[in-house]
Amino acid sequence: MISDITLGQFFPGYSPLHKLDPRTKIILAVLSIVAIFFANNAVSFALLTLAAVVMIAISRISFKVILRGIRPIIIILLFTAVLNILMTDGKGTPLVEFWIISIYTEGIVRAVFMALRVVLLIVITSMLLTYTTSPISLTDGLESLLSPLKVIRVPVHTFAMMMSIALRFIPTLIEETEKIMNAQKSRGADFSSGGLIKRAKALIPILIPLIVSSFKRAEELATAMECRCYRGDKNRTKLVKLQFKGRDIVWFLAIAAITAGIILLSILPYKFVSPGIIYDIAFFKI
Amino acid sequence: MSEILKLENVSYVYSKGTPFEKVALNNVSVAFERGKITGLIGHTGSGKSTLVNLLNGLYKPTEGRVLLDGEDIWAKPKEIAKVRYRVGLVMQYPEYQLFDETVRSDIGFGPRNRGLSREEIDVRIKEAARFVGITDEMLDKSPFDLSGGQKRRVAIAGIVAMGPDVLVLDEPAAGLDPKGRREILGGLRRYVEEKNITIILVSHSMEDMALYCDNVVVMNRAEVFRTGTVREIFSESGVLASVGLDVPGISGIAAELISRGIPLEGELYTVEGVKDAILRYIRGGAR
Repeated sequence: MISDITLGQFFPGYSPLHKLDPRTKIILAVLSIVAIFFANNAVSFALLTLAAVVMIAISRISFKVILRGIRPIIIILLFTAVLNILMTDGKGTPLVEFWIISIYTEGIVRAVFMALRVVLLIVITSMLLTYTTSPISLTDGLESLLSPLKVIRVPVHTFAMMMSIALRFIPTLIEETEKIMNAQKSRGADFSSGGLIKRAKALIPILIPLIVSSFKRAEELATAMECRCYRGDKNRTKLVKLQFKGRDIVWFLAIAAITAGIILLSILPYKFVSPGIIYDIAFFKI
Repeated sequence: MSEILKLENVSYVYSKGTPFEKVALNNVSVAFERGKITGLIGHTGSGKSTLVNLLNGLYKPTEGRVLLDGEDIWAKPKEIAKVRYRVGLVMQYPEYQLFDETVRSDIGFGPRNRGLSREEIDVRIKEAARFVGITDEMLDKSPFDLSGGQKRRVAIAGIVAMGPDVLVLDEPAAGLDPKGRREILGGLRRYVEEKNITIILVSHSMEDMALYCDNVVVMNRAEVFRTGTVREIFSESGVLASVGLDVPGISGIAAELISRGIPLEGELYTVEGVKDAILRYIRGGAR
């Protein structure tokens, strides 16, 4: 069922990760993304994987849920991995040579790193942002982080509001899609057989009602907001004021240290000579 | 009693294995009688809608079987579409499912999917439109130009046109005015009598149940609480109250009269029935 999609879904809870200030989590997510893209050796990836595992453990979100979040991208993962294995040219002798295919050690390592990179990207950002942060605090955090831009007249509050509305309506839209699909299935609609054109045509009975009701809902929402005298951020006070606490600093330092370490590892040329097999595996750079 | 649809020890669990896991139906066994209108009542969240979605194979039971004419509908999962033509389901607020350019072709969507001939489809559209009270001129309008009540009728006609043996309606009259309610529900009653089909009607309105149904199934907390004829169910007002439901208003009046020493007898759940009972009492007393 569509509602089984967990990617981008908030799991309420009271873990230390849930309690973290949303601004901290946004900054941490950005730092982690930087680190993930700088990572190019086994030690860096091990560090990041460890960080991800620690986050999962702390958040008390079941491992199954996280696996389910990754499931939809498995095909993309396999595709990129296979491409990387086949397209990478290495220095040494190929491991496998067959017809026009030749596979090098570098190719396999790069494929593994690439897959790991995508998985870590999804796991870490969703652990920090979507799984443990409610959409409301997420947009609050974003608004607060972007508020310096108000000086140059960027309507930060409006953007944050638009974002929170968009996030708020994702589950509603999913639910509605499912409802309409069920209604059309009850009328004998078939979405899962036939060629590409037939399948595309089968979507019309879903898309038209969905678009119609989205417009209607947008209009109703606007009316409801006007009825409650909504007028943006002028003189608006907040129920929950964001405040950095000790744990925010701890988390920030930890992730900043990991990121700094990974960047250093990736840009520093190694001065010392290879001390053997362990060094080779750990610091094999791509 | 001949049963057309039957649930055997059916359980259904939402989002199994996540923090949102919720048991919507717990070991439910219930049978629906052929050629009758069976009402399904229960307060919000009692599992009515889940049960309805199981009947035509939109949901697959987590445990147990759904039997249509004695055959498990999930025996051949690939042919579940055939079950959906036989058990027509009108969802809650079905007007959102309209999509086609004209009312005519929207009603024809189901029959077209079923692969009927063009003549057959035309006949069925006309017939279905007549049952729910859609005029010929409305047939060539866009469904989006109609009023809410008219859209509802078109949506119901879309299911009726598939020619199901069992018609399941989830709150077909919700949000309609009394006249609209009477027209839609009365049309269904005529439809059952004319075509000898079976109807399962989910409703919150005890008055509608009393007026239009033969049998009643009462749901409470994911389980079937009571089944019986309208008369059996509505004569136990205390039992219904214990699960947060009311008997029809008129039954309450009748019960009050009885408690004050006026022995009424008969169909004490419709206005007509109570009127007759009171008249019988008065005439009997005068004698």
